[in-house]
Amino acid sequence: MKPFKEESLKKKTLKNRPKRDLLKDSQKLGKEMLKDLNQKKSPVLKAIKCSLDNSLYDSKKGYLVPKGKKVSSELNVSSVQKISRSLFLLDILLGNLKSGAVNTKRELYYISKGFMKSKTFYKPLDFEDQSDSDAIIDFICDMFEVYREEMNCFANDRGGQTYSKNLIVTEYLQKGEKAVIDLSSLGTTPFQPKNKPQQFELKAKKGRIDYCIVIESEGTANTLVSNGMTKRHNCIIVGAQGVPSNAVRGWCRTIQDQLNIPIFFYGDLDAYTLQNIYRTLKAGSASSLIRNSDFSAPNVHFLGVLPKDVEKYDLHCYEVSEKDVSESRSLKKAKDVLKNDPFFQSKKNKKLTQILKWLIKEKRRCEQQSVFSINPKNSKVLEEFLVEKIETNSYV
Amino acid sequence: MQKITKSSTAEYFAKNLQQVGFSSSTKAVLTTLKESVDNSLDACEEAGIAPHIKVKIKKEGMGSSKNVDLISVVVEDNGPGLDEKNIAKVFGEYLASSKFGRGRCSRGQQGIGISAATTWAQLTQARGVHVSSKLKNSPKAFCVVVNMDIKNNKGVLKNKTSFHWEAKKQGLKVEFLVDGRVQLKGEGGLITYLEGTALVNPHLELEYELLDQPFRKIERVSNKVPKIPPSSLPHPHTMKLGDFLQHASFYASLSLKKFLKTAFSRITDKSISLMKEKGLTEGLLKKTVRSIGEKDYKHIFSLLYEIDFPKPSSQSVLAVGEEALAESINRLGDIDFFSVITRKPKVCDYKSVIVEVALARLNIKKKEEEGIQLLRFANRVPLQFDKASCAITKSVESVNWRAYGLSQSKKSLPLGPYVFAVSVTSPFIKFKNASKETIDASEELVEEIRLALMQAGQKLKKHIRKEKNTADLIRKKEYIEKFAPILIQKLKDITGASQKEIEGAQRGLYAILSKDTVKAEKALGDARQEVEKLKAKMGSRLTYKTDNEAV
Repeated sequence: MKPFKEESLKKKTLKNRPKRDLLKDSQKLGKEMLKDLNQKKSPVLKAIKCSLDNSLYDSKKGYLVPKGKKVSSELNVSSVQKISRSLFLLDILLGNLKSGAVNTKRELYYISKGFMKSKTFYKPLDFEDQSDSDAIIDFICDMFEVYREEMNCFANDRGGQTYSKNLIVTEYLQKGEKAVIDLSSLGTTPFQPKNKPQQFELKAKKGRIDYCIVIESEGTANTLVSNGMTKRHNCIIVGAQGVPSNAVRGWCRTIQDQLNIPIFFYGDLDAYTLQNIYRTLKAGSASSLIRNSDFSAPNVHFLGVLPKDVEKYDLHCYEVSEKDVSESRSLKKAKDVLKNDPFFQSKKNKKLTQILKWLIKEKRRCEQQSVFSINPKNSKVLEEFLVEKIETNSYV
Repeated sequence: MQKITKSSTAEYFAKNLQQVGFSSSTKAVLTTLKESVDNSLDACEEAGIAPHIKVKIKKEGMGSSKNVDLISVVVEDNGPGLDEKNIAKVFGEYLASSKFGRGRCSRGQQGIGISAATTWAQLTQARGVHVSSKLKNSPKAFCVVVNMDIKNNKGVLKNKTSFHWEAKKQGLKVEFLVDGRVQLKGEGGLITYLEGTALVNPHLELEYELLDQPFRKIERVSNKVPKIPPSSLPHPHTMKLGDFLQHASFYASLSLKKFLKTAFSRITDKSISLMKEKGLTEGLLKKTVRSIGEKDYKHIFSLLYEIDFPKPSSQSVLAVGEEALAESINRLGDIDFFSVITRKPKVCDYKSVIVEVALARLNIKKKEEEGIQLLRFANRVPLQFDKASCAITKSVESVNWRAYGLSQSKKSLPLGPYVFAVSVTSPFIKFKNASKETIDASEELVEEIRLALMQAGQKLKKHIRKEKNTADLIRKKEYIEKFAPILIQKLKDITGASQKEIEGAQRGLYAILSKDTVKAEKALGDARQEVEKLKAKMGSRLTYKTDNEAV
């Protein structure tokens, strides 16, 4: 394999993040609110606006950062419910911080439901579904500009199933204990990072790992492993399981920072994969602007499927009909992405923009699994395809 | 060669009763009732009598065929009654009508409906209709059975007997015994028909007893019997060549010029000069109608279509009127508020039309996501079938009701506990079928109905705004009561502040939140004022039955 030139990165994990005293900050916020109320002034809660229109792609950093807009919630009749809910959940989170307890977002939803259902006093706060409580938790984090994990709250993460014969993960547990996981001992069972993947320590069992491939479909990642790719190649394979969750993004960032190896993404050739999956992995998302610095892997490359692969390997792809509602939505998505997404507007990502233009022009899309059809008799066909592309620098 | 036979009109209808409203057993009962009530109303109005109609529908047993009941339909009125000769014609002969082609806004037009009901009774129960009649100043009434001689399209009277009709000065009673099934509610229901008829006939006093349902009496809200305006002369652009030739035959002895000027509306000397410019010769104008040949007729007819005549007169159209409609709408049930609109007569498709709209909000616990009840009327007769293709439905769907505060999915009927009543009156309503169930949706008519609906919607919007503001104020007050204590408690938990600080904050919080309710109270006050202004402007035509002062 050719030596791979990658810009060197300073190791950075959550451990290096400045420590915040959230108990103190919350008290300060509460006191300010009380002061305002005593003066018959409406308290105003401000939080970073997490939306695409407040996103800026920082090409040097390689991820989306907030432009500076904030959302303000001034206390009045319309906002009293949201502010009451925020204080209610903040109180629970502070309780967790004090005791060192952690909870998932879903657990917090059910804990809150318990209060609201059993105590008449809290009944007015009742959440209709988990998205209501998730939004409040996000608002609290955006207000303090902290990660959810720093509030001892973890998402019910999915994806990130990882396979390798040469990776050792060390997890530091509470009270100084540590768990060392040798992925080579797991067979075809994946290692799945959870909670704070940035706090893991990674090292190669022997020498240096050549590269890491993140596959859009977890099933396809597992197929590659079952067919022996990790035995034949000194690599890491990660299944993204669709849109990369925080755990997947944090995990890829940790791989990038600690192992300093090339990372590639392989998925479908369509606008959804390019924006919602690949862009989120590489540059983070608009809804998590404050966390993209640790939850994106800017060095990841788009390995395919590329338009040139379609031609070179005569891959099965199909026409996107403008008459079909869901298919035409995919075309519309490609046009919207070009118009509104700062990541694709950056000159640095010109080649990705060209792919979107190709999709709009050709009105075609190609599935990641189409490669299997090149030679159905060859179980290693996808492996060979991926390796050839890496070796010939056929990626964006 | 096969023998070509000729059949009578009655034979045709007897074989095609489905075309005139007898396509199912439920429709058969409704159509029988409808034709009887329509005839009674027309007769009363012709005689200038405020109608008082009694309806009784009973299940008498099993019908003559499977899955149908034997139903008796009895309709009694206080109209002028009918003599023997006319009873035979009205009930036993097709196309015998006093109204056909007269260009008036009467309910019946062709003389088909009630004869079809007699046919249905005869076909299903082997007996026509039993009619009792008492003429004014006549000492005795008589009753008779009218059967139909289908082969010859003639009414045959049987079993005539005289009797003393206690306490009845005049009137007519019809009793049909037919195969059918009774549907009371819903779009094709008998109650829907009777309530709808009462709505657009404020001068009607209606009593009805349907199956085991309790007896109901709907009092009249107006003593004014509508005077059906006289018909007007036809507009030259409303005729086809055949109509034109037939029309000319009634004026055979007149000169063409006189014929054009007297037998049509809107043809003046000026328009005749314009026709001359286009090639109509003076010689032809002087000829008598009788002596004009077919080729010349065709020429004259084509010239008529080259001239832009003024639109026809709208004098011959009858409206219910906003005031009467407003009085009448309260008979629909517990009405919260409503708005009514009577448009000025308008010419649509060269026919005069009046569109009237009544929108009412019912005080019932109907879910907001359920569709409105749409009542359609043509010449004051409810239309109950084939709603989708009707001009009225299309017009209602074309309005953006969200702008007036109602929920609505795109291009569909709005939602909520509302009754929309739309009435179209015209001497020449273009129906889609012989059973007069649907008005043809021409662009001009749909637009005219749409304008009426939008005007009524504007008025309704003011009421809805007031309602929304009331709800908003209630919500805001509730919010303060619900959330303020939690907010204060949580601030106390997070900060551990002193009781004094907390009490001060509590006072401050209530002061802040109350500012919003003051604003909401002001908005509600403004909305109320607007409604009051509207009420003052409309007088008795716009009233609240109940004014929900919930706050």
